Amino acid sequence: MNVGFIGLGLMGRPMALHLEKAGHTLHLWARRPESLAPFAAVNAKTYATPALLAANADVVITMVADAPDVEKVCLGADGLAAGGKPGLIVVDMSTINPNAARSIGLRLGEKGIAFVDAPVSGGEMGAINAALTIMVGGTPEAFEKVKPLFEKMGKSVTLIGGSGAGQVAKACNQILTGVGVMAVAEAFNFATQSGVDAAKVREALLGGFAYSKVLENHGQRMLDRNFKPGFKAWMHQKDLRIVMEEAHRMGLMLPSAAATAQVFNAIVGSGMGENDSITALQLLEKMSTKPE
Amino acid sequence: MNIGFIGFGTMGQPMVEHLLKAGHNLRVWSRRAASADSLVGQGALRCESPAALAAASEIVCTNVTGSADVETLAAQLAEGLAPGSIHVDFSTIAPGAARRVAAMYAARGIEFVDAPVSGGGAGARNATLSIMWGGKSALAPRLEPLFSVLGKTVVRIGDAGAGQVAKACNQMVMVAAIEACAEAARLAGAAGVDFSLVRQAMLGGSAGSRVLDVFGGRMASGDFAAGVEARLHHKDYALLMDEATRIGVPLPVSAAVWQQLNALMAQGWGTRDTASLLRVLELAAGRSTE
Repeated sequence: MNVGFIGLGLMGRPMALHLEKAGHTLHLWARRPESLAPFAAVNAKTYATPALLAANADVVITMVADAPDVEKVCLGADGLAAGGKPGLIVVDMSTINPNAARSIGLRLGEKGIAFVDAPVSGGEMGAINAALTIMVGGTPEAFEKVKPLFEKMGKSVTLIGGSGAGQVAKACNQILTGVGVMAVAEAFNFATQSGVDAAKVREALLGGFAYSKVLENHGQRMLDRNFKPGFKAWMHQKDLRIVMEEAHRMGLMLPSAAATAQVFNAIVGSGMGENDSITALQLLEKMSTKPE
Repeated sequence: MNIGFIGFGTMGQPMVEHLLKAGHNLRVWSRRAASADSLVGQGALRCESPAALAAASEIVCTNVTGSADVETLAAQLAEGLAPGSIHVDFSTIAPGAARRVAAMYAARGIEFVDAPVSGGGAGARNATLSIMWGGKSALAPRLEPLFSVLGKTVVRIGDAGAGQVAKACNQMVMVAAIEACAEAARLAGAAGVDFSLVRQAMLGGSAGSRVLDVFGGRMASGDFAAGVEARLHHKDYALLMDEATRIGVPLPVSAAVWQQLNALMAQGWGTRDTASLLRVLELAAGRSTE
């Protein structure tokens, strides 16, 4: 298949390379040309604009930072809509506001271009190991066409519902992981401040009803004092902003997510945003001990 | 002075009336012509367009709902405003939006002042508003004849956008206090104690406040008809929480209050008074006063 790929960062680069390895022809455009360097040795064509790329692709995948970036790549001057033939499928794998995804989908639809929102969970390791969880919103027809691509990048691929549904699922994922990381950080800090070994607490809890992947994986990294990302705290802050914006729009009470979002504000505001989101533990420690 | 004014809601209408009474020449424009009829009857001149209004005014005032309304109007006003003239926006909008509008005008030599107000409909009617403004300090003498007619407390906070930051702080402190009153009323009520007596006692002590007086009074008497429509406070929370996210500041109490407001909106109480936060707590307990 002729697959366009835009957004060749930490996540996008390994994802695109998996598709190339599977025999697909890559069509690339990058805002910063140096992002294209890792693709010099593989079967990939590069273009001067998204519009030119779109004219040569059956499917275009975008993996960028936020809704305005997706909007610009899709609908801006020289964007995908300006060059894509009717029948093109645009798959956005970024994490953006569900409502923004629906709106972009509607406007691409007017040009005969199908839009699928397919945000992912699993982080950089998930991308490198082709083990991502992919949550998809779109029509069943478009989903069936792009599913073989998803299967080369992810292990769990689920069509959640219509346009925007993938982003809703991702927002739910970020509520659970955000609040979950906070819960584990609070429990570990509670144990440590009580003079109890947090590692032993974790070990015991893993066998019980409080078991979770966050307790297992993030918890271990907290014990190892390994705050390297992983998933950067500022990105979790961004994703929780999306959650809280949608809650505001719909009039939904999300007290735990709202409180967690404030902790991420504090993390980013105190210059810890480039750390993994488990850096929440360090913030709690700072707040619960007297300075020297 | 030749003053243009756009936006005649609960706040804008009495503000224009005060300016007319003070002897200023007022020009008005509104999307729905009828909403300016009564002001035209009192001597204001009706204009064809925002640009026409701007061309005849030294100062143009706006008092509308959202950031997008202000940005749209500013683009139209810029067509008519002469270099050196001032756009004073009384609306409550995002500080970032205020800074964008100021930058757009600066390129044309037009001044922008964000001047959100506190005091509600009563403050506007009695000309006792608190006006917190952001803009160049050199503009103060030209703004004084305008602000002195509308408000009692006028404070320049800083440059463009600073007024909106002050308003965000105002809303945070005020609505958190309303929530605190609601929680006190709920606790008293659930404990079988008369909140109106609790309020009366508290008003004389260290917990006394304007919010306890006004909003606590509405809670005590079960009067949830709008003084301040809760949907407006809800809207302001989106602005201030977004600003907190942008600059990385934790606001744990505000975030919790915001969620109570979300629950209030879900019940369809957005056009009722923010004292309805008490009813959100009663809802959680499976009771209701109405």
